[in-house]
Amino acid sequence: MTTTVPSPESDAVRIGPPVPFDPELAAALDVIRERMPATFTAEMLPMFRAARAELPDLTDDEISLGGTFDVIERTVPGPAGAPEVPLLICRPASATVAVPALYFIHGGGMIMGTNRGQGMADVLEVAAELGLAVISVEYRLAPDHPHPAPVEDCYAGLLWTVEHADELGVDPNRLVVSGASAGGGLAAATALLARDRGGPALVGQLLLCPMLDDRNDTYSARQMAGLGVWDISFNQVGWSALLGDAQGGDDVSPYAAPARATDLSGLPPAFIDVGSAETFRDEAVDYASRIWRAGGIAELHVWPGGFHGFVLLAGQAAISQTAKAAVAPWLRRIIGA
Amino acid sequence: MQELVGRLARVDPDAGAAVKVIAYFDRLVEGRAGLEPIVRGAAVLAGCAARLVDEQRRVQVRIDVHGRVRGDIGLPDPDWPSAPLVQDGPPVLWLERGGPAGPVDAMVLERAAAAARAVLERTRGRSKALEDPASVEVLFDAAVAAQTRLAIAHRLGIAENAQVRAVALINEVGRVESADGASWPGKRRSTDRRAGIGPIGDVVDLPVSWSGARTALRFTAAETAQDPGPRIVHADQLGGLAVLADVIGPDTDPVPDVHAIERAKTDAPWVLATLVAVATSPSLRTAATTLRVHHSTLQERLGHVEHVLGWSIRDPQGRLRLHLAIAMWRLHQR
Amino acid sequence: MTDVIGPPPPFDPELAAAIAIAGEKMPDIGRMLARGGDAVATARALRDEMADFLLDPDADLTRDGAFTVSEREVSGPDGAPDITLLICRPNNAPPPVGVIYFVHGGGMVVGDRFTGLANFLGVAEELGVAVVSVEYRLAPEHPHPAPVDDCYAGLLWTVEHAEELGVDPARVVIAGGSAGGGLTAATALLAKDRGGPALLGQLLLCPMLDDRNDTYSARQMAGVGLWDQTANQFGWSALLGDAQGGDDVSPYAAPARATDLSGLPPAFIDVGSAETFRDEAVEYASRIWRAGGIAELHVWPGGFHGFSGIVPQAAVSQAAGQAPRAWLRRILAD
Repeated sequence: MTTTVPSPESDAVRIGPPVPFDPELAAALDVIRERMPATFTAEMLPMFRAARAELPDLTDDEISLGGTFDVIERTVPGPAGAPEVPLLICRPASATVAVPALYFIHGGGMIMGTNRGQGMADVLEVAAELGLAVISVEYRLAPDHPHPAPVEDCYAGLLWTVEHADELGVDPNRLVVSGASAGGGLAAATALLARDRGGPALVGQLLLCPMLDDRNDTYSARQMAGLGVWDISFNQVGWSALLGDAQGGDDVSPYAAPARATDLSGLPPAFIDVGSAETFRDEAVDYASRIWRAGGIAELHVWPGGFHGFVLLAGQAAISQTAKAAVAPWLRRIIGA
Repeated sequence: MQELVGRLARVDPDAGAAVKVIAYFDRLVEGRAGLEPIVRGAAVLAGCAARLVDEQRRVQVRIDVHGRVRGDIGLPDPDWPSAPLVQDGPPVLWLERGGPAGPVDAMVLERAAAAARAVLERTRGRSKALEDPASVEVLFDAAVAAQTRLAIAHRLGIAENAQVRAVALINEVGRVESADGASWPGKRRSTDRRAGIGPIGDVVDLPVSWSGARTALRFTAAETAQDPGPRIVHADQLGGLAVLADVIGPDTDPVPDVHAIERAKTDAPWVLATLVAVATSPSLRTAATTLRVHHSTLQERLGHVEHVLGWSIRDPQGRLRLHLAIAMWRLHQR
Repeated sequence: MTDVIGPPPPFDPELAAAIAIAGEKMPDIGRMLARGGDAVATARALRDEMADFLLDPDADLTRDGAFTVSEREVSGPDGAPDITLLICRPNNAPPPVGVIYFVHGGGMVVGDRFTGLANFLGVAEELGVAVVSVEYRLAPEHPHPAPVDDCYAGLLWTVEHAEELGVDPARVVIAGGSAGGGLTAATALLAKDRGGPALLGQLLLCPMLDDRNDTYSARQMAGVGLWDQTANQFGWSALLGDAQGGDDVSPYAAPARATDLSGLPPAFIDVGSAETFRDEAVEYASRIWRAGGIAELHVWPGGFHGFSGIVPQAAVSQAAGQAPRAWLRRILAD
């Protein structure tokens, strides 16, 4: 028995029991969690990064998908006064005309990951299916580089891509920003920046289980504490790394935490998905709801019993396959296929 | 539940069916739908599978009669009805119909091809040279010889007999739009969506259209609570108001009614939106609905604002005076 | 706090195009309601007006012999008349088969056991399951609790006579769209609270859940689409009379009123982003999750109420049509 009773005397809300994991995912999660600490603190970051580094990046051959893509690496000007930004550019080898492109921002809680990580595999697969180019940006990571370094790197790489679209054989009028987890949050932030600075016109923003809200106190964050792969304690480490003492306070920029934006009108059409059994559930649903309320366009999918990143970490499960298959039809509509 | 679109193929080829075909593709173009929806529209309206194959751009889309994408694409049958993308070009769009043509086939092919052309031009490879905004500006310049303007239009890919209009935007170069939805430079989403639309006409008349578009732009508003009113204004709907634009500007002296608007505006945050709604709604009741206030609230507010303005705005004369005052007030802004 | 309500999200371009040419095929509920008058007379007029729209006379319920279709008169709620169940059993699946218990839509005031059924038979054939469709009494002639009690009585009978019907009482999914989605959710609540049949899942398509009719989306979409705030007001008033929107509405009438959403069968909920019911559907899913329950949620961009049934060929409708199939396949898998 659970009820959610907001008490007028305090903020205390009685939190219901956690949402159960999908049975197939639960089995996969047991294996995943054997290699993970139950909770997370900042001191554990070096160790965690080292462990994660053991997860190999995609090889050149995996990235080219056996010759499907021509792959080049470029280093392009970064934000004013900052180092250059590496881009991994994958263009369909068979394309003879300018192609639409996914500008991809990898995940890793703002503190980990590379632009050649495992997260690229699914992106390349859907890009191959639809004949899209993929540009994957290597942004600086927190805490070594706090906000605004990561998002400004992402934006600088996007600007360069648009300005060099001809050279890349990419159609600058059909760019979709995309990312999962922290990458989803950075993709949403990049779309906000592009809107507010009069930057590139994007045709879509693909936000997979996005990390949007530094306050880290949603109902779902508390409900799923101690469970899954990115619970409230992990999330705390990520946001603190990005924002330091400002985290959770009154003065956080929407370009760091898009949930802080007060105006969500005039954004490109969004695709947002999330698992029902994860920290980010409520902030993802709220972000979509606020886009609709501003008269905007958003597609939302909440997958039952999904833990954070289930599509990537347990791709074989039926629910993962269904969730993955939802992306291509949206992309087809967005790019005007 | 029945399909709404139905099968127009079974309908007599009367004017109603033609109008529906046109309306269908117009809405797709308006909503910036891609190639699949256009080919799907052709298939569903004609009642048979349809395909688009553009060898040059390596595009192929095939959709069955139920609207589903089919990958299995063979060679087209030469007997199928087809349409080219441009006059005298090779066929690119086919209705996969053996036997006698359906009553709306020709219309479906024509409108679908026009819509597909607009998408292909927007999305697949017009070269950068053709996107040069400076070229478009020349089209608006009456001082440039008509021959030169026609030559530049040709280079931009605007057909000599095309029906076109100028569009004026805020803080951006203007653009040319054709009746079938194509645009030069290619359409971009701008942050400020306000636009003045000039009258439609021949390519050589673009300078006139441009002048109308710029006038119309001055009558636009941000469509926000602070600046209520339409974001998009068409020059040919201005009528006599256009004359006002010639004599009123940021540097001319405002008449007392403009001062009254300015005074009322600072009186309460809801005033401007209320005045605009009253001036532009057919009745006070619709104005109340637009404002999402109760009819009696509106009446109360009007009493107050009439006091500040100094004239009644609940009779036709007073509303005309209000309408003019708002128009003049806006013309003083830019 | 008075919200400033944002503009309505735009319809998906293909849906907008279909609506643009639907013309007289679209029932004009707003016009019917504007005539005013007695609720019973209005409901009857609506039923006449919508008869063509809701019924496809060509629908083959046997799906070319895939189903055996029969009807049964079974006991209604205590002291109430018998109810009719329409039973479609798959011919090629060995009993016992799973069953979809279907509750039709129609705003609580229109529709019958055939309304929208054809859509479910397609997926039932794919999955080799039976469909039982209940003919419940309609408001305003039969206000709450008549409709939901009829639905529940039919469900009880189905489970009790499972063997006779050749269905598996442990594999019952309850399903419905619009008002049928609301009644489905209510029936699931009844089954939980009365210790009734254990259900495998509840499929709620654009469900009508909240009699208060004052969500942000209801206000944002006022005057837009097939079932706007005014139409919704009529439906709920017909069901609840003066109690509508008040403090004393049963969760079995309006499931959004339930304070405890734990212990319910796994839910599938979908809704369009451009419709009245958007926010109540999202909220219902959110509250199930908060209670530790299982729910899958899809919100389809630019979808108006009932879009996937009304314009099935559109790309967004095809995607929306696939999602419940995949869910049913997972839920009903052996």
